[in-house]
Amino acid sequence: MSALHSRGIRPATLVGCLFLLALVVTGCSSGKRSFQFDGNIFLADLNPTSAGVLGALYVTLIISVVAQALGVLLGVLAALGKMAKIVPLRVIANGYIWFFRGTPLLVQLVFFYYGFGAAHIWGWDDITLMGGFFIPGAVWAAMVILGVNEGAYMAEIIRAGILAVDPGQTEAAKSLGMTYRLTMTRIVLPQAARVIIPPLGNEFNNMLKTTSLIFVLGVVETYNHYVILQGLNYRPFEAYAACALWFLLLTTIWGFIQSRIEIRFSRGTATGSAGQSGPGNPGFAARLMSLRAPIEQ
Amino acid sequence: MMNKTGDLLGAIGGVPRPDVDVVVDARDVNKWFGRLHVLKDVSLQVKRQETVVVIGPSGSGKTTLIRCINHLEKIQRGRIFVNGHLIGYREAGGGSKLVEDKEKNIAQQRQEIGMVFQRFNLFPHMTAVENIIEAPIQVRGMARDDAMVMGRALLERVGLAAKETVYPNQLSGGQQQRVAIARALAMKPALMLFDEPTSALDPEMIGEVLEVMKELAREGMTMIVVSHEMGFAREVANRVVMMDEGVVVEEGTPDQIFSAPTQERTKAFLSKIL
Repeated sequence: MSALHSRGIRPATLVGCLFLLALVVTGCSSGKRSFQFDGNIFLADLNPTSAGVLGALYVTLIISVVAQALGVLLGVLAALGKMAKIVPLRVIANGYIWFFRGTPLLVQLVFFYYGFGAAHIWGWDDITLMGGFFIPGAVWAAMVILGVNEGAYMAEIIRAGILAVDPGQTEAAKSLGMTYRLTMTRIVLPQAARVIIPPLGNEFNNMLKTTSLIFVLGVVETYNHYVILQGLNYRPFEAYAACALWFLLLTTIWGFIQSRIEIRFSRGTATGSAGQSGPGNPGFAARLMSLRAPIEQ
Repeated sequence: MMNKTGDLLGAIGGVPRPDVDVVVDARDVNKWFGRLHVLKDVSLQVKRQETVVVIGPSGSGKTTLIRCINHLEKIQRGRIFVNGHLIGYREAGGGSKLVEDKEKNIAQQRQEIGMVFQRFNLFPHMTAVENIIEAPIQVRGMARDDAMVMGRALLERVGLAAKETVYPNQLSGGQQQRVAIARALAMKPALMLFDEPTSALDPEMIGEVLEVMKELAREGMTMIVVSHEMGFAREVANRVVMMDEGVVVEEGTPDQIFSAPTQERTKAFLSKIL
């Protein structure tokens, strides 16, 4: 369960970060040509009411959420496939995981979007949902490719979660006349969820940041917004600093949500039945504030 | 608490009546774990409302035998019938070959066979009453309200009415095992299998579990109990079956087995245990 506690900030890491920041700031003024940090441009870049900022954040968020959801779904299927008695299912699951973990995500993005498009295998056409909701082809291509890639990683996490459930649970469920499906959905997966949730939270944290890669599909998400912006005003330091801050805000908010979820899912375990932060499950704020090294259990 | 006849089974609407007089009919059952021959031509019959206690040294195959009865373990030869239905397999090739049955059919057969495990195996993410009503609702399609009424009645009968909304990790071992018995009973099984139900318990908790089991036996449940509790066997069992090295060595009434065993292996085993 070390993943659960690996997000505390080590004092050494903090010192390192401060050192790097100092280096950057002194580096600015000691160079041949001096660089003047422009606070006004930075604030304007950061300002959520500036044109395109909120829209870009929205695109980042929606793609992350959909891709992660798809990843979890595919991860469950691939995990069950990997553990299936039927050989072809195992082959399919293993092949899927092998390919998507074995090739760079960036290559997958361009191959399945541009490559498949050029080869007339799959065109990723724009779609309009029933409610008149318009989704550009590149956006849902990004959701699908990120999701399918994520599924390969989630498969291993979910498989580990399922294997962590006591086999006696399956036997008890079977002895009560439950089918494989009921046993999985009602007994095994809810218990596996406790093991899966902490690394799943980390995966989503990663997903939020990984979406920045989809600029290669021409999607204007948060990162691409700032790439375009710095191309217009020639102020990359301010633009990318604002960009980094936005991502930091997203992952920080997610950190709070994640610790809430973890506490909820520890219901019925030794540390979490009371539904609040216990010694084994400190809240995110407590972890952040205490600046402590990860606790190994 | 549990003195009145019909109490425990009253909670599930009366004694489940198997369709036939012989509830369990195991014939020449053979099982291998890899190359290890763990059951060798084991035959066992259990009649309706009978309580059979299976004793024997560890590794004798007694736990494996009852796990085969609800098909938690596969068998390689022989037949096991419960309520007249062949368990886990269907016959093929004119009855000469056994083919494993469809998962759905096996699940259906298991509904009639309650099982209580050594390690309780309660569902830790569900409260005591949720553990009990889960299978009746999900498997039998019982309405939640009806299931709750039955679940509460069962909890009361095993003396845990106050623990309805408590999670298993907050219950003692004895309490957990009593909930596990209630959970198995909630499916209204025609047969109850107990796999060393008191072996994982602290000594002071063994009595409360045995008490519930005695009550069940008195009310006429058909039971097979793998146990080292000789006092329980003496008091409750209609028949005691002695197993060793994968064979049934000897069987008889508790009096016969405990007072006048005929087989050397039975004598040797009892001398170590009594």
